[in-house]
Amino acid sequence: MSELGTAALSGKASVTGASARPISDDLRKQVAASAAAYRDKPGALLSVLEETQRLDPNRHLSEDALRAIAEAMDEPLSRVYSVATFYSYYSLVPQGQHVIVVCRGTACHTRGSLGLLQETLAMLGAEDFREDEEASFTTADRKFTVRTVACFGQCALAPVVSLDGVILSRLTPSKLKAAIERVARGGKR
Amino acid sequence: MNDSNVTLVELSVDGVPVTVASGSTILKACQAAGVSIPTLCHLEGVSSNASCGVCVVEVEGARSLVRSCVQTVSPGMQVRTNTKRVLEARRTVVELLLANHPDDCLACMRNGSCELQSMAERMGVRRKAFPRTRKEPAQDSAGLAIIRDNDKCILCGRCVAVCRETQTVSAIDFAGRGIRTRVAPFMDKALSSTVCVSCGQCTLVCPTGALTERDETDEVFADLFDPDKVVVVQTAPAIRASLGEALGLPPGSLVTGKMAAALRRLGFAKVFDTQFAADLTIMEEGSELLHRASSGGVLPMITSCSPGWISFIETFYPSLLPHLSTCKSPQQMFGSVAKTYWARKAGVDPSKMVVVSIMPCTAKKFEARRPEMRDAWAWWKDQGQDHKPFFDVDYALTTRELARMIRRAGIDFTRLPEEGFDDPLGASTGAAVIFGATGGVMEAAARTAYELATGKPLPTLELEAVRGFEGVREAALDIDGKPLRVAVAHTLKNARAILDGIAAGTSPYAFVEVMTCPGGCLGGGGQPVAPDWEKRELRRAAIYREDRGLTERKSHDNPAIKELYAVFLGKPLGHLSHELLHTEYAVRKV
Ligand code: SF4
Ligand code: SF4
Ligand code: SF4
Ligand code: FES
Repeated sequence: MSELGTAALSGKASVTGASARPISDDLRKQVAASAAAYRDKPGALLSVLEETQRLDPNRHLSEDALRAIAEAMDEPLSRVYSVATFYSYYSLVPQGQHVIVVCRGTACHTRGSLGLLQETLAMLGAEDFREDEEASFTTADRKFTVRTVACFGQCALAPVVSLDGVILSRLTPSKLKAAIERVARGGKR
Repeated sequence: MNDSNVTLVELSVDGVPVTVASGSTILKACQAAGVSIPTLCHLEGVSSNASCGVCVVEVEGARSLVRSCVQTVSPGMQVRTNTKRVLEARRTVVELLLANHPDDCLACMRNGSCELQSMAERMGVRRKAFPRTRKEPAQDSAGLAIIRDNDKCILCGRCVAVCRETQTVSAIDFAGRGIRTRVAPFMDKALSSTVCVSCGQCTLVCPTGALTERDETDEVFADLFDPDKVVVVQTAPAIRASLGEALGLPPGSLVTGKMAAALRRLGFAKVFDTQFAADLTIMEEGSELLHRASSGGVLPMITSCSPGWISFIETFYPSLLPHLSTCKSPQQMFGSVAKTYWARKAGVDPSKMVVVSIMPCTAKKFEARRPEMRDAWAWWKDQGQDHKPFFDVDYALTTRELARMIRRAGIDFTRLPEEGFDDPLGASTGAAVIFGATGGVMEAAARTAYELATGKPLPTLELEAVRGFEGVREAALDIDGKPLRVAVAHTLKNARAILDGIAAGTSPYAFVEVMTCPGGCLGGGGQPVAPDWEKRELRRAAIYREDRGLTERKSHDNPAIKELYAVFLGKPLGHLSHELLHTEYAVRKV
């Protein structure tokens, strides 16, 4: 029993189990800090997931990050994965510096969201984007990621696109293009 | 409902007046009125997430249909269960479920025991009404014990609930959203590389073929048909109280003799009994307990017969592993004794031997393939015989798999004669029978340990305090003036409570029995599907009936065990016991 982990040696009960992957100390510390900040607040898990993704250089939740979160929040791994895959905001794959999410719900579609998507992809040089609910494209310079979502639930404002987490409503291709160019120059959305 | 504190509510179901306790669901009221309402996601005592919609009824004055599994009754409510609207809605619900379901019944493990299949029949589904909308998900067949086929999953959530609430393992949860919603382990990994302990409780509650045991009946038939192999079988205590049920007899049928006969008809060379090894376990475990208690060893000592429980503590509480008895489970003790002692005695080449066990358990499949479980092979090596490494136990089949083999071989079970087990590994006592019920190992150990310690027999053989289905039960045994506090827990949720006490240093016990499944092995994950507490109670009664009917009821009185120690093992905890009957544990990282 020489290889007992630290959690094991402390005699602490766990719902996560000992991890087969070594999690880096930096990640562990950072997640522990978020967990401490949000503990006992409503939606703590959502907030910790959000903060961890935001602080990640590639704006995503890696397997290790999810493991660290489960451990720090004393939540089962399957539960953390469940939440992380339910909300479209979270990404389990690396994303560019700016994230564009195009809503492909029925209302948005009727009001031209396909055009918005195509325009964006063309502008960022994406060649083979096979549309699928979970498809995503990241530019080679890792500046932009384009994703689609089945529905944002903002149908009254259709068509909507989220740019770095901010919902832009009643968009036209030219308005969207302008917004993307603005953030590309480092400006506001 | 005789309790005077309970307020009663009067309502009518299809015009028939019925009175139920307030707070009851409409579903309960319908049942009380003798009306059967179909349910899929709802499972009494396990899950109630009201997601499927098949249980709808009409309530006078309500605009939409009402899900009867969650909606509670109110006074004067008028419920209609079979109007045009209700019947059409229910059928549409099932047709929508079938849109994304393969037409696979003929080749499906649940053909004939599938709730979705019988629901489709009952709702009058006669066509493929809607086109498929979700992509066909991949099967997860990496595990030794559990196979997942998400294409057959109807997202009822029962497995998620049982894994989280009953077992506190939470290996699976819903993942994704919309059309991609699925039941998944962490990162959509293979279930076998997650915290899953292979307990199989999810396979009992799954209404469809989405979660099943790994079926190994073909492999066992192949060995039975191979003239070069000597195939012997052992049957766990709980099988005799459930095999009948799996073959269509009433729950609680005790079929020990017919089971032995059926196994012989299937072609097993010897029909042995895991109960022999259960008696052996008691000799070793009772001695280990007394040794720990007298030498300042780690207490409480916790039983180690239940492999799902072993995986659980290895995964979640590795620092408490020294509390586990080092005794192998009866299945594994049997394997290593059969392939050494019996093989030599019978003059059988151990490498040609195939040990098949019939278990109430899916985790036994996993246990049999633990890499360290090759002690017979190592023993023969010490005797100078170098074979290709073989396992002590080759196949662990569930009750359900044995029932399948019996049906496939065309054996008319009810017409079989009552037969006995073969000697010497078929001899057992009542103490071994009760291993099949929660509390049984404790009671069996008490019968022997008391006598080993005091030289006197226990005043009464029936230890009522540790019987029953209460989640955690405790008792104080008086061993010649020395009190010994013991506890019994079943399901991993209750085991967790005991472990938390030990970790906190507040556990008052010297000896603890833990069984993974509700009710113990009689409620095991390899037993007939869809159990409820009524069926578990009937199986339990059968087990204690068997105990009372046997002449020998204490493990140390088993003559074959005495002989095994006299001519082979020496004494309990001796050198050979250590090699063949005891094991080690390790932290399990996932
Ligand atoms: S799960 Fe049920 S309905 Fe589906 S293929 Fe199997 S038997 Fe048929
Ligand atoms: S086998 Fe047991 S632990 Fe594994 S998923 Fe099923 S219920 Fe959970
Ligand atoms: S796997 Fe079975 S029990 Fe689990 S959600 Fe799917 S159908 Fe229900
Ligand atoms: S059984 Fe009531 S909603 Fe599923």
